[in-house]
Amino acid sequence: MTRWFQDIGWRHLVGVVALLFALFPVAWVLSASVNPTGTLAGQQLIPAEPTLENFRALFATDFWLWFRNSLIVAGTGALGTVLLAALAAYAFSRLRFRGRRTGLLSLLLVQMFPQLLAFVAIFLMMIAIGDVAPAIGTGTIAGLILVYLGGAMGVNTWLIKGFFDTIPKDLDESALVDGATHWQVYSRIIMPLAAPILAVVGLLAFVAILNDFVIANAVLSQNSDSWTLSIGLFRYIDDRYGARWGPFSAGAVIGSIPTVFLFMFLQKYIVSGLTQGSVKG
Amino acid sequence: MSTTDTKVDPAGGASRSPGRGSGDGSDPSWLERITGGGSPLVVLLRISLLGLVVYNAVVFTARLVDERAWLALGAMWLATVGLVWLFTRPGRIPAKFIVPGTIFLLVFQIYPVLYTGYIAFTNFGTGNVLDKPTAIEQLQAQATRVPPDAIRYDSTAFADETGALALLLTDPDGEQLFGTSEELTPLDDLGDVTTEGEQVTAVGAFERLSLVDAQEFASELQELRVPTDDGAIQLQSLTTAARAESTRVYDEEQDLVTDTVTGVEYRPVEGNFVSDDGDVLTPGWVAIKGTENFTRAFTSPLIRGPFIRVFIWNYAFAIGSVFLTFVLGLGLALALNEPRMRSRRLYRSLLVIPYALPSFLTALVWTGLLNTEFGAVNGLLGADLPWLTDPWLAKISILLVNLWLGFPYMFLVTTGALQAIPSDMLEAASVDGAGVWQKFSRITLPNLMITVAPLLIASFAFNFNNFNTVYLVTRGGPPIQGAQTPAGHTDILVSYVYRIAFESGRGADYGFAAAIAVLIFIMVAGISAYSFRYTQALEEIA
Repeated sequence: MTRWFQDIGWRHLVGVVALLFALFPVAWVLSASVNPTGTLAGQQLIPAEPTLENFRALFATDFWLWFRNSLIVAGTGALGTVLLAALAAYAFSRLRFRGRRTGLLSLLLVQMFPQLLAFVAIFLMMIAIGDVAPAIGTGTIAGLILVYLGGAMGVNTWLIKGFFDTIPKDLDESALVDGATHWQVYSRIIMPLAAPILAVVGLLAFVAILNDFVIANAVLSQNSDSWTLSIGLFRYIDDRYGARWGPFSAGAVIGSIPTVFLFMFLQKYIVSGLTQGSVKG
Repeated sequence: MSTTDTKVDPAGGASRSPGRGSGDGSDPSWLERITGGGSPLVVLLRISLLGLVVYNAVVFTARLVDERAWLALGAMWLATVGLVWLFTRPGRIPAKFIVPGTIFLLVFQIYPVLYTGYIAFTNFGTGNVLDKPTAIEQLQAQATRVPPDAIRYDSTAFADETGALALLLTDPDGEQLFGTSEELTPLDDLGDVTTEGEQVTAVGAFERLSLVDAQEFASELQELRVPTDDGAIQLQSLTTAARAESTRVYDEEQDLVTDTVTGVEYRPVEGNFVSDDGDVLTPGWVAIKGTENFTRAFTSPLIRGPFIRVFIWNYAFAIGSVFLTFVLGLGLALALNEPRMRSRRLYRSLLVIPYALPSFLTALVWTGLLNTEFGAVNGLLGADLPWLTDPWLAKISILLVNLWLGFPYMFLVTTGALQAIPSDMLEAASVDGAGVWQKFSRITLPNLMITVAPLLIASFAFNFNNFNTVYLVTRGGPPIQGAQTPAGHTDILVSYVYRIAFESGRGADYGFAAAIAVLIFIMVAGISAYSFRYTQALEEIA
């Protein structure tokens, strides 16, 4: 028995303690979301009479609007990111042209100046754009998506290019000899084969956009109809932590569903994508 | 390396003959030359996208001319012509693949970064957002008097959804004008006018107010000034208005504003007209003020103290976060990376859960858990600790939350790296009599670091600007006493910038915020440049 503990048992002990640390906030939020009192003061780990009252209170706010906005922004943003980054990655991986090396290096250089830090400029710029083109200016979801697409290249192009490089060139060369255009090679041969890395880049972009607070708030704060989950829930809970704890927890539970679902769905790609991609820079 | 770069790819060359993919066997016609070949669907898609681009360029031309945004107008047409030129002819395939993303990159990342650099040298902020001519116009419209022989108008009030007001004015000759706080335009020049019979009911987004509704806005309407060349039009009663002349005269040659009533002269000082007695006229305009925003962070005592604290904590937070998450992640990876152990997979997928949840939500959740009176953490400990309101405990809380958010990632990557270490190396060491610690420190850790070191630097760069953890858990607080700018004990530079820009009680100071952002840019660029030495990325460009 002690031999077993020295070899294996302590590992389970460590694992269980780590699980308690990792999961106790999750358990706490799940229980708070069905707690009848709905306040921070009245919470218990196992509520005596679980109800859906908090969800009802949550749905009385603009929660579904924020949720929908977030899904539109993160979904479109992730899709656009994958598309733009993969297009450039194809050129860098498959074509040889003057300025290729400079282009790749510039993408690394640009990464040194993250978009996040330019939020003051983005805020002022979107106000100016709004004067000329209200449909994509400040306070619009479309404008916010365009801003996010500005960060699509860079690391993502490098990640995807790294994967494209591993796809044998014989495939596309024979297609080109058969008369296919580069667009056809890209869309019919390379893209389907690169599905794993595209999924990982898409997932990371989706999560990053969903989590963004700074840029979203700088662009959208003036128009409450366009708020995303991060802005909406933050303003809902800010200053009224005690009283709105229950409905907020309900919102946290529902708001987590999309990413948890995506993670489960793409699990097998994530670990390899993370390590492989990151190691390649 | 450079020889491969300039060499033309034979495959790329082959596809340059137009119309190859269309397969109808005819000569490259003018149509194909323009469409570049390809299947009908692709051609249709390409033409409609280009059409959309050109259409939008035409639409925005008028508005940009209105705004006198000549630079934007030039850039827009340059891009439009360039895009049409590129996508209506064969060849230049690399450009076709790279240009779409590059346009977004230029407009929404590179331009904002450069613009941040410009703002950092200006006084941009509350009270200084206009250009100089507009500011002078508004200053003149502020101080007015109605001369006895003034032109008088019949007036009707209008308002839009945001509460902005406007006046429909009928002059003695019967001509109708529409005036907002920004400009006065003849009604005939406005396109979007709705009338019912003789009566104008809506102009653009503005809708006519009934007399009863107008009564509600009476005081705002009294303050409304519609700027004209030499003054402003202002209301006399709810239904009449008069053209008033400004009591402030602007002398362009000497660049000074004179008050004709008091005779006081105002001269421009850093974006505002200021009298000799120090009386400042607002609004001002955006003016270059040099490096003052940068030096202020280091010289003004009320700013310097908090700024240096924020600066030091920023490094402590980033280094501490990386260290703690790495140690915990690696420890768990070592403990759970044992093939003989049961339910390893279960542990692994459950431990990753914090990573799969949106961090903005979990950060907000932790605020509740760490609440002093009712929080679950104090509940479990049976303690009464002020986790978020005590300067030191708040710092510990932030690190704890970031540990919770970040350890699953480190656990994932170190597990992957551990499995890549050849097991015969460890076995050989065992045979040679190495202990557990020796094996770990001499073999496992050095091997692990080859893979993980770049990730640690990337993690450092990420946490250096980890706004969400700081702002959503503590709002940067508790506040540092006596700080002139909003600064808290857990603020890192990026949250500090955010609060200067959007939450300062004295009004926004975009110039100073941008200057701090530029300082962060420089620091982050330093970190990244250093990290490049560890990645093989540069050598990999083949």
